[in-house]
Amino acid sequence: MDTAIDIVLKLIAITVAFTVVLLIVAYTVLAERRVLGFIQGRLGPNRVGYGGVLQPFADLLKFILKEDIVPDKSTRFIYFLAPVIATMAALMTMIVYPFGPDITIPFTNITIPLTIARFDVGLLYVLGITSIGVYGIALAGWSSNNKYSLMGGLRASAQMISYELALGLSLIGVIMIAGTLDLGQIVENQSAWHGLRWYIIFQPLGFIIYLIAAIAETNRVPFDLPEAETELVAGFHTEYSAMKFALFFLAEYINMFTVSMLATTLFFGGWNVPFIDAFLARGSFLYGLISAIGFIVKVCVFLFFYIWIRGTLPRFRFDQLMNFGWKFLLPLALFNIFLTATLIYLFPNL
Amino acid sequence: MLALLFILFAGLAIGCGLAVVAQRNPLYSAISLIGVFISLACLYVMLAAPFIAAVQVIVYAGAIMVLVVFVIMLLNVEQEERGRPRLKFLVPVAVALSAVLIAEVAFILVSVQEFRVNPIANPSDVGLTHSIGAQLFTRYLLPFEITSILLLMAIVGAMTLARRGGLLSPNARVIPGAQVLPMSLVDPHAEPDDLRPVEAETSDEAARVMGITDQSKRD
Amino acid sequence: MEPQLSWYLALSAILFTIGVTGVIIKRNVIAMFMCIELMLNAVNLTFVAFASFFQDVTGQLFVFIVMTVAAAEAAVGLGIIIAIFRNRESLDVDDASILKL
Repeated sequence: MDTAIDIVLKLIAITVAFTVVLLIVAYTVLAERRVLGFIQGRLGPNRVGYGGVLQPFADLLKFILKEDIVPDKSTRFIYFLAPVIATMAALMTMIVYPFGPDITIPFTNITIPLTIARFDVGLLYVLGITSIGVYGIALAGWSSNNKYSLMGGLRASAQMISYELALGLSLIGVIMIAGTLDLGQIVENQSAWHGLRWYIIFQPLGFIIYLIAAIAETNRVPFDLPEAETELVAGFHTEYSAMKFALFFLAEYINMFTVSMLATTLFFGGWNVPFIDAFLARGSFLYGLISAIGFIVKVCVFLFFYIWIRGTLPRFRFDQLMNFGWKFLLPLALFNIFLTATLIYLFPNL
Repeated sequence: MLALLFILFAGLAIGCGLAVVAQRNPLYSAISLIGVFISLACLYVMLAAPFIAAVQVIVYAGAIMVLVVFVIMLLNVEQEERGRPRLKFLVPVAVALSAVLIAEVAFILVSVQEFRVNPIANPSDVGLTHSIGAQLFTRYLLPFEITSILLLMAIVGAMTLARRGGLLSPNARVIPGAQVLPMSLVDPHAEPDDLRPVEAETSDEAARVMGITDQSKRD
Repeated sequence: MEPQLSWYLALSAILFTIGVTGVIIKRNVIAMFMCIELMLNAVNLTFVAFASFFQDVTGQLFVFIVMTVAAAEAAVGLGIIIAIFRNRESLDVDDASILKL
């Protein structure tokens, strides 16, 4: 039946995307340790495999084989549920991103879209799933029955919900220019001017606000006070060990990856590689392949930027962080919306 | 196929709804309620209303329930004690009355004609973002604007209710380690050039020195 | 067989009744508040079901407004709950049955 074949194809697509994402995230952990090492004047881990390429698998083995400690007085159901919620919310956003244009497989007539699920409220879906991710952290802090975890969990979730507002508002400028919430359509709108009509040209302020809010959303430096090693022991994941901690760790890096993919899709043209449509036909297999690789390269540039910031900047104190989010970033995002609306009204033909 | 999905999501919604009522620990009730919201969002998608589904997840599951979970955590709500409720037969009478309500609704539903229009089979523009936006900003502009004023009222109300009495001035920053601040900086009711010294190690101590009593603070 | 309108209305009625039962049975004021939210959601489901089976977008607009009102009510209601907790040190509604503290 038609629907059965559809479902099988979607399952294959989900498996492929899942594998790709997990591999990239595992190597992001390795890349972070090595790049941080180079920034700090030392080599990172480079013993396992050639130059350290097998390090993620060694880490995985360590996590699986570690002893799983469960605190005695914790609320057991929520204690086990929290890392699951965090990882699920991080992974569920994968399905709406366009990894490339529609590809026609050579020598056949089959056209496959390189998006797992394309629906017309894709951007709202991403924002909604990001809001669900707050629960993983809040419930983890509560269920560990440990006052440091609770403080860390409450601080982290307060920070996440504060910067979610600035994140959402900074994206409204892009939505106004694109006229749609569909991520595939937004990327296709950016393929004018030989693939150079990226929205960062029209929304530089929006991009900066988005970047700051995204770094705060994912609890990375300079906004990582709730989970820094020198504060509150380890924040909300103090009491987690072995595989559950690996799930939190994974969720944080997948969040980073998701946010980088969103930045690439909205501001840097998604899969548009400039000037290749001069000698490759759109819809051909090679065009699709180069576009998909270009997308991954852009996302990796963003991940490198995250790691670079981690090695360079000191961290905010918590009240400075909240002040910054509410009193500076939110009014700036509102101002950006007004500015964009005015400019669209004055120059409707760009 | 669609009927299977409907039964799945409806079963999930009813199961989580029963869990909200039956659980004694309010945090478990809150998590079950989040489950209800997400299954309702899936039902909205089945009803060709993707925008409302996304807004349901963002507003209800992502904002309102976060607020409820925060309040439960901050107030450290324990399980309900097994004391006697004031009405002895409260639970059986409540269940009986709700069964009567369901029976009434079932009677109405059975005696009304069925509609044959199926939302998925007839694709239309209803439910897409631009059709909602077109109506919201033209024909239903007045409810939209009144709703925004309502939200402003809610913000002001929540801030007023949650404030503790007797605030220190917002410019007072007492850093642990015993510093000396002028009175004008610490007390918002003092004169601007009142330079009497206030020596304190924490903000609470400063409040006590100045005599700001907080009736809601318990020792 | 596709889901009919009456199925959605029946589900909404069941959820609403569960909410009503919860408000009657529960003694914790936060749990009562959550059952009220359940009732609001049952009504939202009815609105959306009618909007889609009658191909009219007005139902979905009202759901939008209802959600906004529910958010405002949640903020103020939880503020009131916190104020009650501070003054009476208990979240049991049976303890809040007289105005005197």
